[in-house]
Amino acid sequence: MAASAPPVLIEGLVKRLGQGVTAVDGLDLVVEQGQVLGLAGPNGAGKSVTLKVMMGLVRPTAGRVELFGEPVHPGAKVLARVGALVDGPGFVPHLSGLQNLELAERMIHRRNGRSDLEGAIAIAGLGGAIERQYKTYSHGMRYRLGLAQAMLGAPDLLLLDEPTTGLDPAHILEVREAIGAAARAGTTIMLSSHEMAEVQEICTHAAVMEGGRLIANGPVEELIANAGAQSLAEAYLSFVR
Amino acid sequence: MIAVEFAKQWRRPRTLLTFAALAVFTIALTISLDASGAGRIERVGDIPLLVVPDRSGFSVPVIALSSTMKFFLPLAVSIFAGESVAGEAGWGSLRYALAGPVSRTRYLFSKLVVALGFSVAAVVFVPVTALAVGTIAFGWHPFTAIDGSSSSALHTAVVTFGAGAALGRLAVGTAYVMGGMTSIFAFALLLSTLTTRPFAAVAGGVGLTIVSRVLNGDYLPGVSVLNPYMPNNDVDLWQHFFQQPAQTAGMVHFLLLQIVYVAVFLTIAWWWFMRKDILT
Repeated sequence: MAASAPPVLIEGLVKRLGQGVTAVDGLDLVVEQGQVLGLAGPNGAGKSVTLKVMMGLVRPTAGRVELFGEPVHPGAKVLARVGALVDGPGFVPHLSGLQNLELAERMIHRRNGRSDLEGAIAIAGLGGAIERQYKTYSHGMRYRLGLAQAMLGAPDLLLLDEPTTGLDPAHILEVREAIGAAARAGTTIMLSSHEMAEVQEICTHAAVMEGGRLIANGPVEELIANAGAQSLAEAYLSFVR
Repeated sequence: MIAVEFAKQWRRPRTLLTFAALAVFTIALTISLDASGAGRIERVGDIPLLVVPDRSGFSVPVIALSSTMKFFLPLAVSIFAGESVAGEAGWGSLRYALAGPVSRTRYLFSKLVVALGFSVAAVVFVPVTALAVGTIAFGWHPFTAIDGSSSSALHTAVVTFGAGAALGRLAVGTAYVMGGMTSIFAFALLLSTLTTRPFAAVAGGVGLTIVSRVLNGDYLPGVSVLNPYMPNNDVDLWQHFFQQPAQTAGMVHFLLLQIVYVAVFLTIAWWWFMRKDILT
């Protein structure tokens, strides 16, 4: 593993899903150490599939995907350095939030030995409800537990799909604070979002996907300036049209 | 990883409900046998084995195993195997379980071990519960059966087993029934890797049992040539253990057939699971 290898290197990524659907169609993307990259684009642009390829869940049809200089495939060792919340949280419904996190920790701990259950419980912020069965949780509580699981192994790369969708305003602030804290600690973060204001606020960089390709990519300020726009939301509209 | 998978499954309401249903069934069976009157003769299974329920506690597990193996036990086994992977997909937790440096082979193997453990427990649970309830109701006595296939109007072939011998034959018979469930188990596990809907995988396991029973020469004489290759029919043969002498030739064939089915279903399941894109 090269010391200078970027956390994310994607070259010519193609993923065909069958039935003539091409979810990702020649994506090139590099995310450098410490960046917080907002991945924007309309529904069906290929954001979620791209994240799943990076998690080792989906095999690319073509192209190269490397994390920290190591190729990604199902079960790849480098995936121990990745935490993810993609397509919403998923937990065992009849177990409590705490039991779910403990099971996740047992799996993660064997991988990298630096999991932080207490920290994750704090991120979930569920209070006494962490002892309740997961199936009794509200949408927002489930999301925060998912975020806690993603951060449980103190990952070097965090992949978040719509991390604040469906949360109430107070919890949006908490989640953004947790993401900010992870970024300050040096975690590289890739998050997809529909909220351009959110991307502008918490991301250093932004990439816009459409039709499985990248149509814009760069530091947030630069993208806004190049589009002659006042905000990222305005710039986004000029890219996607 | 097996311990983690076990922790996910054993507290499931469905797991507890399956065992509770089997317990209720055997207790209800004992009560109905007790109420059916002294000396009444029960026919057990397709092989004309006749027992007098109230003479020995052993008659209850024999009748219970015979009446659960055609539907209840295949259903229980299909639930445990069919829910294993598809259940996680349904919860949305499969993607997180597989997103780490986790070998999919090991993951599938852990699922298989845990589901198989619960399946064996369910099959063993029926005769154990039935023997306990039967012994309380009818006592710990030698077990007498009438071998209807060797009996005629002039001669009744009666076989009596001491309690120890009856226990041994019940244990071997139970092991045979479990062996006979493995093709259903492997098929439901295969479906569990193919679908994200656990119900479909469970229904598939039960469906294979029913297809196996329907494509049977007894019901459709034209397909009797298929009989020796059906995955679930000859599970009935365990009752031969309670004839004297026990006729085991068909059983050996059936267990070898199970090995072939299991090998084919599990190989496809593994092959597919290694290549599968986890999109849900």
